[in-house]
Amino acid sequence: MIIAPTNAVSAEVSPVDVHARGALLLLLASSLGWLVLSGILALIAAIQLHSPAFLQDLPWLTHGRAEALRETAFIYGWAANAGLGIGLWLVGRLGGNLLRALNWTVTGTVFWNLGVLAGLVGIALGDMTSLPMLQLPRYVQPLLVVAYAAIALSGVLAWSGRRVDSTYASQWYVVAALFLFPWLLTAGQMVMLWAPMRGTLQAIAAAWYAQGIWSFWLAPLALAGAYYIVPKVTGRLLPSYEFAPLAFWVLLMAGGWTAGRALVGGPVPAWISTVAIVAGMLVLFHHMVLGLNLRVVLGGTGNALSFIRFGLAAYILSGVLNAIVSFRVVAERLHFTFAGSALDQLAYQGAISTLFFGSIYYMLPRLTGRTWSSGALIVGHRVLFIAGVVGAVVSLTVAGWLQGGYLLDGKTPVADILGNIRGPLLIATASQLVMLAANLLLVVNFFQSVCPCRTADASSPGPFRQPSAVEATAT
Amino acid sequence: MKNAPVFLFGLLAALTISWAGIVLGSHAQLGALAPYFDDGDQQSYPFRQSGIAARGQLVYAELGCASCHTQQVRRPGYGSDQARGWGDRQSVARDYIHQIVPQLGGLRLGPDLANLAARKPNAPAAEDLMKLLYLGSPTHPAYRFLFQERQISGQRSLKALPLAGRDAPAANYEIVPTEQAQSLVSYLLSLNHAFVYPEARPAPKETKAGAPAHAAPKETPVPAAAPDEKKKTEGAKK
Repeated sequence: MIIAPTNAVSAEVSPVDVHARGALLLLLASSLGWLVLSGILALIAAIQLHSPAFLQDLPWLTHGRAEALRETAFIYGWAANAGLGIGLWLVGRLGGNLLRALNWTVTGTVFWNLGVLAGLVGIALGDMTSLPMLQLPRYVQPLLVVAYAAIALSGVLAWSGRRVDSTYASQWYVVAALFLFPWLLTAGQMVMLWAPMRGTLQAIAAAWYAQGIWSFWLAPLALAGAYYIVPKVTGRLLPSYEFAPLAFWVLLMAGGWTAGRALVGGPVPAWISTVAIVAGMLVLFHHMVLGLNLRVVLGGTGNALSFIRFGLAAYILSGVLNAIVSFRVVAERLHFTFAGSALDQLAYQGAISTLFFGSIYYMLPRLTGRTWSSGALIVGHRVLFIAGVVGAVVSLTVAGWLQGGYLLDGKTPVADILGNIRGPLLIATASQLVMLAANLLLVVNFFQSVCPCRTADASSPGPFRQPSAVEATAT
Repeated sequence: MKNAPVFLFGLLAALTISWAGIVLGSHAQLGALAPYFDDGDQQSYPFRQSGIAARGQLVYAELGCASCHTQQVRRPGYGSDQARGWGDRQSVARDYIHQIVPQLGGLRLGPDLANLAARKPNAPAAEDLMKLLYLGSPTHPAYRFLFQERQISGQRSLKALPLAGRDAPAANYEIVPTEQAQSLVSYLLSLNHAFVYPEARPAPKETKAGAPAHAAPKETPVPAAAPDEKKKTEGAKK
């Protein structure tokens, strides 16, 4: 897909962008397909929570399978493709050279998506692993490792072959994600699927893997975009930037150790959840520095920045809440309830998705050299999506709080609890619907914007309001 | 972070240290857990899963039952698991050593099932579980695809569900569980955490500090309760 730029926008659209256009658009387009699919599945799974009979005669859409399909389409479909597209673009731009090995990226993308598709079919047919965040059947997993490595190769080359010797925060985060995910996936599948450890050790490994998805992969990719775009758009240097390396290493070093939060009170050694409490507190340092560095986001305007502002707020809030719920006193009430789902929504929709959206809104015009086809759709997407996230997080928190109270009192029969929290669950379903609608606006806008059929609008002043003066502040 | 090899090594170290600490560390602690041989009973606990129960666990896993049911009883005094009759002791790692894919779960939309066969006041009968799977309930989906409706040829099948009224199949037809449903129910009825391992007894310190509100500590006749529970264990096996 080669699209000739329609405007002379050389200051914003660099040769790096033009060169990588096809490969990165392929990643973004695939990610949006998965985003819609996971939204539909999320809606189905949400309906099944308050109306268990929904679609009960479809064996491939039992609630457990719908949930696994949703999660897989979201993580390995949407977040992986979008995160890789954004990450490669960032290291390409910051490296200053044309991205190399892009044919590997394209091949890898095709095989990655085929692998995810085969995995989803496998889950639907009954091959899910039942390990949280790693539901993909094991027969597609080696393919995914290789395909990921092929995609990531270009990013690692762009970083190691960069023009400027010094590096920027976005580069650390992207390289960490590109480099570590294959190790994470390999280590995870080895001890859980190929040579499964004994008994509950599998659950411990699964908790570590699920936390690794966040700490070693998706959070770094999401933050990389924020670190790049915030100073570019606001035109300001990041305050306290000298602490950014510390924030980076704290996330990587302590992040994985917070895994035990998912196992509090369970049949595992007690030190695992104790370490998680300590690590959760340590990671707060990362969130604090992030807040310090990126607080200039509050002063900026623009579509990309509005998404990033909300995403960063959700990111920091989710770090704080995760640290709180890891305490045993709190977990006694909230563990095993919808409060966990609320935190997942906050982290994965509120932080990861929103930050990715912000990056995509900033990146696409620079990639294609043309504006987004509709500003109204962007605003609609933002308003609806944020409303959906807030609705889902708040309603699930309420549901989880009530559910925890009922579970704790020991008298309310379990079968009655669902009826008592039906209200909040209905709101959560509505929120999923709103998020899905919002994302459809993005999809429409995206394909209208990249469609080669779109003619140049000579009267438009050009896609970029801010002149190239801000270009200098990023590195 | 300018030096590529050092930077990449640092990244890998960050990942590896947490993996080694959490995964290998707990493996070193629990990887060699053996069944516990009880001198009084002259047998080992936990029981090995029967073939059909092991198959049932795979059915449980691939249907995604763990998305609404946990299988981990919390200790008395932490949560209400004991009051709900889900178990008088916490689940410990040794309970799971024979399981191929332990299903700890993370959400309690339904009851905890770790100790289903020894649940108090009474464990569900196989027939109740079959009916729940076939008919569903307002809070539980029906899994009709785990059953087969077929014409009765000759004698009625012993496995046919005893359904009456609105739910009953047409005359001369019967509803029989498929092999999947049978193994799933066998698995559920094999779930038993009644035997009290040494590590599952409440620590003495906790006994003294235990909140008086909970019916537990001092009086709990742990060893005395065990034999009576074991009978249930054996009953459930049949």
